[in-house]
Amino acid sequence: MGVALLYDIQSLLERYLTKLVRNPTLLATNLVTPLLFLFLFSQLLTKFSAFPGVSGNYLDYLTPGIVVLNAMISAPQGGVSIANDLNSGFLSKLILTQVSRPAILLGRLLTDVFVVVAQSAITIVVGIGLGVTIATGIPGILLMLVTVAFFELALSGIFLVIGIKTRKTETISAISGVLFFPLIFVSSAVFPTSFFPSWAQVVSRYNPVSYASNVTRELVQGGLTWSSLLSAYAVIGLIAVATFATTLYQFRKVVS
Amino acid sequence: MNNHASDIISVENLVEVYSDATKALDGISFKVRQGEFFGFLGPNGAGKSTAIKVLTTLLKKTSGQVSVAGYDLDKSPKEIRKVIGVLSQETSLDVDLTGRENLRLQGRLQQLHDPVLKDRVDELLKLVQLEEVAKKPAGRYSGGMRKRLDLASALIHKPKLLFLDEPTTGLDTQSRAAIWDYLQKLNKEEGITVFLTTQYLEEADRLCRELSIIDHGKLISSGSPAQLKAALGGETITLTLKEGADALLKSKTKEILKTIQGVSNVIDSDGDIVAYAKNAGQIMVDVVTSLDRNGIRPAFLSISSPTLDDVFLRQTGRRIRSEELGRKETEPFLM
Repeated sequence: MGVALLYDIQSLLERYLTKLVRNPTLLATNLVTPLLFLFLFSQLLTKFSAFPGVSGNYLDYLTPGIVVLNAMISAPQGGVSIANDLNSGFLSKLILTQVSRPAILLGRLLTDVFVVVAQSAITIVVGIGLGVTIATGIPGILLMLVTVAFFELALSGIFLVIGIKTRKTETISAISGVLFFPLIFVSSAVFPTSFFPSWAQVVSRYNPVSYASNVTRELVQGGLTWSSLLSAYAVIGLIAVATFATTLYQFRKVVS
Repeated sequence: MNNHASDIISVENLVEVYSDATKALDGISFKVRQGEFFGFLGPNGAGKSTAIKVLTTLLKKTSGQVSVAGYDLDKSPKEIRKVIGVLSQETSLDVDLTGRENLRLQGRLQQLHDPVLKDRVDELLKLVQLEEVAKKPAGRYSGGMRKRLDLASALIHKPKLLFLDEPTTGLDTQSRAAIWDYLQKLNKEEGITVFLTTQYLEEADRLCRELSIIDHGKLISSGSPAQLKAALGGETITLTLKEGADALLKSKTKEILKTIQGVSNVIDSDGDIVAYAKNAGQIMVDVVTSLDRNGIRPAFLSISSPTLDDVFLRQTGRRIRSEELGRKETEPFLM
């Protein structure tokens, strides 16, 4: 059973990666977007270097935030893919095979994790090239990648539910815009929160994006505490449990 | 009804009611013998696709008893899926993957491994004559090629029973003939039982050895195409009145036809009047003289062998052919 499940996941992972490689525009966009953000923000907002909490180098502050942004950009992909497979009838075809049902979701999610980890690794390498120093070294980089992968998984559940329920990719893009812009901007991902008005500082403190960004940032700047690590994983874990329980419920209704 | 060991499908009193209270299947019963080439013939919306979705485990039935390949539909859907192949109405391929990759993916999800998988893929590409384009993305295939690839992927795990939901709808004549050819080959040479739905009279007539005609969720006739046509009692006489003929003239004509010896049935068909008679050629003179005596001169009169459309007409008062021309509705295969 376990071997069959792995074979299913591997087969579907290969399917999605092949599709990605055959779509050069999507592949290029995936690679360029984080770097574009890194360059844009670091050029436009260089004066933030002087802000409290930034500790003198805005690029050090920004790079771990962009890593978290990668997760948010990729999160809707799983939902889009499942909506497309539902509409084209491909999902019915999958269901009629002996494929294990969880593998259909897992294959897709692992693809997105793979993409996010690759994007983030590139972001970190380019950041280092631009002068970012990672205080916690290689183990810190690995923990950053694990954190961003986990965050991506938790968020993608939201879009899997929308994809299965509405089968409309337009709805997914619309919701990701409405949801993610405020989440990104009213968080510590890109901006130092010390210049926010007080209400925004409060919102930002409880924003899951801030929890994730604080972990990646403390790994870059040094001084990661158990409390920020555990609280971030608890918040991400809660989102994951809520979204995947809903996803599985919706998915069962479709594939039963 | 008795259950025979050789029945690969057994359906008793199957009812499917959709959530909007539409009764898609209204208590149908039938059996399909192992090795049979069986067809469901009916117009759009008759319940054909619904029947296939239920039998292939994609849609839960409302009530009734169904067993497929010896397994109870409710208790063992997994076992059923292992031994059936399904070709849905909408071609469902991954257009980014090549023909070969599509087949390999399907095979892997059916738990096939190399080298068995590789051989099977080669064999199927050869069967559906796609070897030369196997390395091209399926998105660049023509409609007929996609259908052939989809058929091959339904066969990857050597199913005992193949379900096809309107396999040739939307295909050109040549592609249709190719699909017919493969299906006959699979049925004859490999002994695969075929269950096919179609709205095409010619397809049902040429391919199916056993046929059920379905309309508004009910089976209205079953038997071999030859038996069904023979039950009409002879050849078909089609009579068209002159333009502007009123209902009175029409019913008078029908009354006259009924009095002629040998005529077994007289039916309205759109604008025409259709009668069935043994030795229609011989009584044609009687038809013409009787009508002439009453001052009726038809605009058009013909004799033909009965078709399955006549069988449908006899049971429903409508023709399938006229509905064939209607706009085709598409619905997603899954619920």
